[in-house]
Amino acid sequence: MVWFEVKKVFSRASGKISLAVLAALLAVTCWLAVSHIDYVNADGDIVTGIRAVRMLRSDKEKWEGYITENVLRSVIRENAAINASDEARSENVKEQNKAYAKKQGFDDIRDMINRAFCSFREYNYYRADSITEEEVGGLYEQRVARLREWLYSEEVYDHYTEEERAFLIEQYESLKTPFYYAVSDGWQAVLYYAQTIVMIGMLVCGFLVSSVFSGEFQTKADAVFFSSKYGRSKAIAAKVKAGYLIVTVLYWILILSYSAIVLAATGTGGGNCAIQTSFTYGKSFYHITFFELWLLMVFGGYIGWLFILTLTMLVSVLTRSPVLAVMIPFIILFLPSFVGGFSVLSDMLGLWPDQLLNIGEAIMLFNLYRVGGHIAGALPVVFTMYSCLYLVLPPALYLAYRKTGID
Amino acid sequence: MELKLTEVTKKYGGFTAVDNISLTMTGGVYGLLGVNGAGKTTLMRMLCTLLKPTSGSITCDGRDIFAMDASYRGLLGYLPQDFGFYPDFTVRDYLRYIASIKGLRPAVAAKRTEELIGRVGLVKAADKKMKKLSGGMKRRAGIAQAMLNDPKILILDEPTSGLDPNERIRFRNLISELSEERMVLLSTHIVPDVEYIANEIWLMKDGVMVQSGTPDEVIASMPERVWICRTDKQTASKLMERYQVSNIKTEAQGAELRLIAAACPAEGARQTEASLEDVFLYYFGEKAGEENGVV
Repeated sequence: MVWFEVKKVFSRASGKISLAVLAALLAVTCWLAVSHIDYVNADGDIVTGIRAVRMLRSDKEKWEGYITENVLRSVIRENAAINASDEARSENVKEQNKAYAKKQGFDDIRDMINRAFCSFREYNYYRADSITEEEVGGLYEQRVARLREWLYSEEVYDHYTEEERAFLIEQYESLKTPFYYAVSDGWQAVLYYAQTIVMIGMLVCGFLVSSVFSGEFQTKADAVFFSSKYGRSKAIAAKVKAGYLIVTVLYWILILSYSAIVLAATGTGGGNCAIQTSFTYGKSFYHITFFELWLLMVFGGYIGWLFILTLTMLVSVLTRSPVLAVMIPFIILFLPSFVGGFSVLSDMLGLWPDQLLNIGEAIMLFNLYRVGGHIAGALPVVFTMYSCLYLVLPPALYLAYRKTGID
Repeated sequence: MELKLTEVTKKYGGFTAVDNISLTMTGGVYGLLGVNGAGKTTLMRMLCTLLKPTSGSITCDGRDIFAMDASYRGLLGYLPQDFGFYPDFTVRDYLRYIASIKGLRPAVAAKRTEELIGRVGLVKAADKKMKKLSGGMKRRAGIAQAMLNDPKILILDEPTSGLDPNERIRFRNLISELSEERMVLLSTHIVPDVEYIANEIWLMKDGVMVQSGTPDEVIASMPERVWICRTDKQTASKLMERYQVSNIKTEAQGAELRLIAAACPAEGARQTEASLEDVFLYYFGEKAGEENGVV
């Protein structure tokens, strides 16, 4: 029965088109993820793609290891020496590129210095140029000081309680230092476009699952279906299973293929480094590595798909319309864009299901929630909340469909 | 086996689709005749557990069919009026899928599918997609799906609607063959569909069962008589205004009318044997001929 339900979905033209779109999405996203890494060679020319990845890795590998005070001083020293070179002082862009080419190896560490020595909400690319070797030794303390400064600023003072401020400061202070640095461009590339593939993939999958239940009404096959022996029991269970099979198989094929292709092209190194060593996740208060963030991203995406697409199926059962049902993923994804301007909703939107599909963004937010007397970030809350909510949906789906037509 | 309806009523808001119907079916072919909107489909959907009666009960061998749930539906074969299917499935896949939801084991389902494909004459079309079949072939696939579980109760709602005369005759014969050893309820608004194969006829109008019995009993129940009269065109027009006319044959000098009247309607009119079509016209009046011109 399950096999026939799956066949029903993919025998339709819309099913075949959706599969083609997913394949195209996979190809395009992999290409974007690999090609967005660039490298400036010694001649000042920009190289992209797999060649850039290899060259960049070769430069960066020299800086792998713990980012101690000595390493930081070396970065400041080398940075200053390059800044003093003729190429760096030249007005010619190509010459400046040649100077930049020499900085690429330690650019990640240089970025960490920039972030630590700018105010919390600012970023100045040239800040490292004005930091002395003495000052840079206090980088880890500066990180915490900048956070503290921001938490007590007028901008957010009313937003956090004293306990919440203490929680965030404690999170920053307890982060193990010195950071260990390794080339993590591969993981960062995977994470950078993961939300694209997870979100668009979910929208496409919405078209597939929206017809699993409502297809019976659309084709007017419901009378035969419900008057069959198992039409109100096993056949419905088969539909529920088929829905999950489609969601699960497509999700894992998509996300694992994407990750495997991008990592194969860009390298798997640096998975054990703290995400705070990167430019993108440098300010996050979560104590996780790139590999752990990838795990959060793939499992968060899976829970998000399960929850949102089960909701889609439930709406298709209640409305008997795949058109209304297919709008659910769009509403969930795009509603925050429309109502995000209302600050009163910001806490609520931090728990919106789209967060599960967008872990890379969620990990950088400072939304805090009080659960059972404990303060927690949004991630553990959304993971727990939607896992529990998701468990309620399949029985609801089954029962709603079982009652169809009997009034 | 006994399928019994006791004072069954189905209401949609203020509208009563089926009004206080009590019937008993024990075996053979039952023809449910009525014009469109008479409540036939609602009655059949209740018998198929697709709708619950607002009041009254439906029992199978004394047990409520809704309480019996799957065990009742296991006895059932149903071809709905608006027969829907999965357009991108082949006939074979469609039947195998329906067999699976009817609880047939895969090996049995495969065997039964091939058997029924042969029986309904769809061997050459077995690997064709359902959407590519002609109207008649779709209906045959429909009857095949209804027969997959070798049902003890076969419910066919307007099975011949939309078919051409050849297909209709073929279909009627097929139903007649299938009616052995089972209870068949066949609803239609086309009298010849049931005239020769039904053991019992039920006439339904506005949700109410107006007459029931064997075809002869139903014919005999008509209090008026059937007359044939040959007359000029002017008189024919007058007769058509006064009486229910079941047939008009236009001739060079006038017309030959077949009409229903309590007494001789015109000079020279001769009484003739009533048919089921005449009875249908008598009970359902003008609406009887609206849909297809059969009557």
